[in-house]
Amino acid sequence: MTRIVEIPPSLDERSFDQFAHSFSSGLPEQRALFDARGAQWASPYGLIGLLSAGQALREERRERPLFTVPANEDVRRYWARAGFFRYAEELFEIHGKVPKIRPDDGSDILLPVTPVRASEDVHGVVGAIQERSARILAAELGLEAKATMGFAMALSEACQNIVEHAGTSGWAAVHAYTFRRRLGRRVVIIAVGDVGVGFRRSLEGTQARRFGDRWGDAVALEAAVIQGVSRFRDPGRGQGLAGIKRYLTRWNGKLSIRSGTARIAIVPPWDDDVPMSDNLPYFPGAQLQVIIPAQHETAG
Amino acid sequence: MIHTIIVKRVLREAVQVPYGNLVTRSTGAAVRTSIERAIAATGCTTALLDFAEVGLLDFSCADEVIAKLLLRTEPQVDRYVVLRGLREDHSEAIDHVLNHHRLAVLALPGPGTAPTVLGRASPDLRVALAGVLRLRVGDASCLAELLGWTIERAADALQSLALLRLLRADAGQFQLIPVQ
Repeated sequence: MTRIVEIPPSLDERSFDQFAHSFSSGLPEQRALFDARGAQWASPYGLIGLLSAGQALREERRERPLFTVPANEDVRRYWARAGFFRYAEELFEIHGKVPKIRPDDGSDILLPVTPVRASEDVHGVVGAIQERSARILAAELGLEAKATMGFAMALSEACQNIVEHAGTSGWAAVHAYTFRRRLGRRVVIIAVGDVGVGFRRSLEGTQARRFGDRWGDAVALEAAVIQGVSRFRDPGRGQGLAGIKRYLTRWNGKLSIRSGTARIAIVPPWDDDVPMSDNLPYFPGAQLQVIIPAQHETAG
Repeated sequence: MIHTIIVKRVLREAVQVPYGNLVTRSTGAAVRTSIERAIAATGCTTALLDFAEVGLLDFSCADEVIAKLLLRTEPQVDRYVVLRGLREDHSEAIDHVLNHHRLAVLALPGPGTAPTVLGRASPDLRVALAGVLRLRVGDASCLAELLGWTIERAADALQSLALLRLLRADAGQFQLIPVQ
């Protein structure tokens, strides 16, 4: 028997809980069918979320899930350019026509979906983003050269969270587009995700006793992101997220991290997100998103 | 004796990646281990780490290379670390991680310019260090006279600077770290 995992028409961080609810519903023995036919758009966060869902099922040794591609050809082409199908084909039984185009580094896709498994992959991601993004970050977002280095640093630290904490592999992607309604500006979005142990389990051994009955996904996220707590006893740990926060404060950016059933956000003045959400539909691992807005308004 | 270590060369030798970026903890640990070996092999007093042509330096790697290098130096060993060739983003990352550990290091901004301090150093320590740079050698009373401080205040500052390995101190005398 097959169960349908609904993919929202616009799959991004805001609609992710709807997707997570659909994904986590149903019986384990049922084969999942990811229905993307109605998809109109997906952010890098959404695309990595889809791959993470497929990987989670594979790691649980479930039957290979089905995936129906978006009906809209432009959407399919964008997803192909973003590198989604290259990895989706390994995780899903794809149904529908997949455009035969190579993932690219055009003006809007600064980094196609890229697997992050080990330290060498972080070097690759950082090297690639430096080569590709400097012009876009400077010309389109009005960021100084110093800010582009900080951007690569934030990406590096985000990817290292997978290598250091997840216990499995993950993905990273970076896209640029325009937030017309929310901001009226171009933004660059870093999305990094994995289906590893998540923040709660990563910190449980060293922190759970300290928090007692309050211990859970939300408290674990708060400990890591706000208090800079790490599972390692090394006092130098926990500086990666602190570094990302410092960079975002300077450039008016936003950070959000979802893990398990909770989500935390460092919210800039231009956004109306809530700092903490708990009791969300469960989704494995951790999903991180960084948004850097242009330093000037988009013309038109 | 001063031993100059070209960090980019160490990076190339320590990790087999085609990029010149100091990123990830494992890379930082490999680079630091190579630097420690080089320092031990030469027995130098000052290790001058040259960051010229290093690309990105992230916080994790800055912590592994610089903070751990300073933390792992035995207190009784007369050995100092000085940095040069840093870009602004390198300096910011190093300053951030050293503040976290309450450590400090001297950095040489360029030829003919005075060393600066990266990391945790109070305003008093920065003023005292500027005085030390002018005097080069002396004792607490010399510094107190130069700065118009009490001898106790000058002595406290010199002791803190010595503990941070920003100067050499011996038998009540201070001396600038040899950097050139």
